[in-house]
Amino acid sequence: MSERRLMLLHYVTGIGILITGAVHLWVVFFTVPLDQTIWETTMLFDNHPFAILSVYRNALLASTLWLLLVFTTYHAMNGIRVILMELIPNRSFVSAIKWVLIALGLFLVVYGTRTILIAYNIR
Amino acid sequence: MLFPSRYSLERWSYTLQRITGVVVTLYFVLHVIETGNFVGGPSVWYVPPYDYARAYYEEIREFLHNPVFDVGLVIIGWMVAFHAVNGLRLTLAHFGITLGRPSRVEPEAPPRSFSPFQRAIFWISIALAVFAVVYSLNALMGVLAA
Repeated sequence: MSERRLMLLHYVTGIGILITGAVHLWVVFFTVPLDQTIWETTMLFDNHPFAILSVYRNALLASTLWLLLVFTTYHAMNGIRVILMELIPNRSFVSAIKWVLIALGLFLVVYGTRTILIAYNIR
Repeated sequence: MLFPSRYSLERWSYTLQRITGVVVTLYFVLHVIETGNFVGGPSVWYVPPYDYARAYYEEIREFLHNPVFDVGLVIIGWMVAFHAVNGLRLTLAHFGITLGRPSRVEPEAPPRSFSPFQRAIFWISIALAVFAVVYSLNALMGVLAA
């Protein structure tokens, strides 16, 4: 893929992260009353409207988390690639780091998807 | 190259965007691994019994619930807020929005690409980042409630 398209995707995933990340932050932080902490509410395992399992069992919120995972993985890996390219503009280094970042990105998506799918099904 | 002290505000924004990006990426990798504990840890690739997953998570929760991790999350909150809003500014600039009219570059003059509107978004990103610190300090450690 050309640099132009890679960067276009970088900005598109950035906008995607703004939307899905806002939902994630709203669920974890902004549903918490001001006189309580997340440890007493949204970080509970279960038995609270926005406890961890309640969020993962909700198909819409779980899908939002998965999109956030995919968007952030691409945005982060491409961002690191761009920074390293600027710091060390060497063709073979850039090629090597590309494959390392692709491998790390695949691991993050597979492992994160596993967590979301399993948590969705825990009863 | 990265250290911006001899340059304009735009270079500060450039450097901060990269530093926050790298730190938030490190946090993101750890966060994906850490949230794997909701279902019983990295070795679980099937749906575990409810009580097993709960007991495993409670142990991790005890470990994470301490002031060091709370302060770390507050710093991440600051960085995410700055990176998000400043990133929005960069996205607008990428598509030519808010850049102003092209003109001749004058020596020692501030960069024209960093228009007043762009400058305003930069300061909004700093302000929102400060708000994120206050809000997350309360949400994590109950600072306001105390």
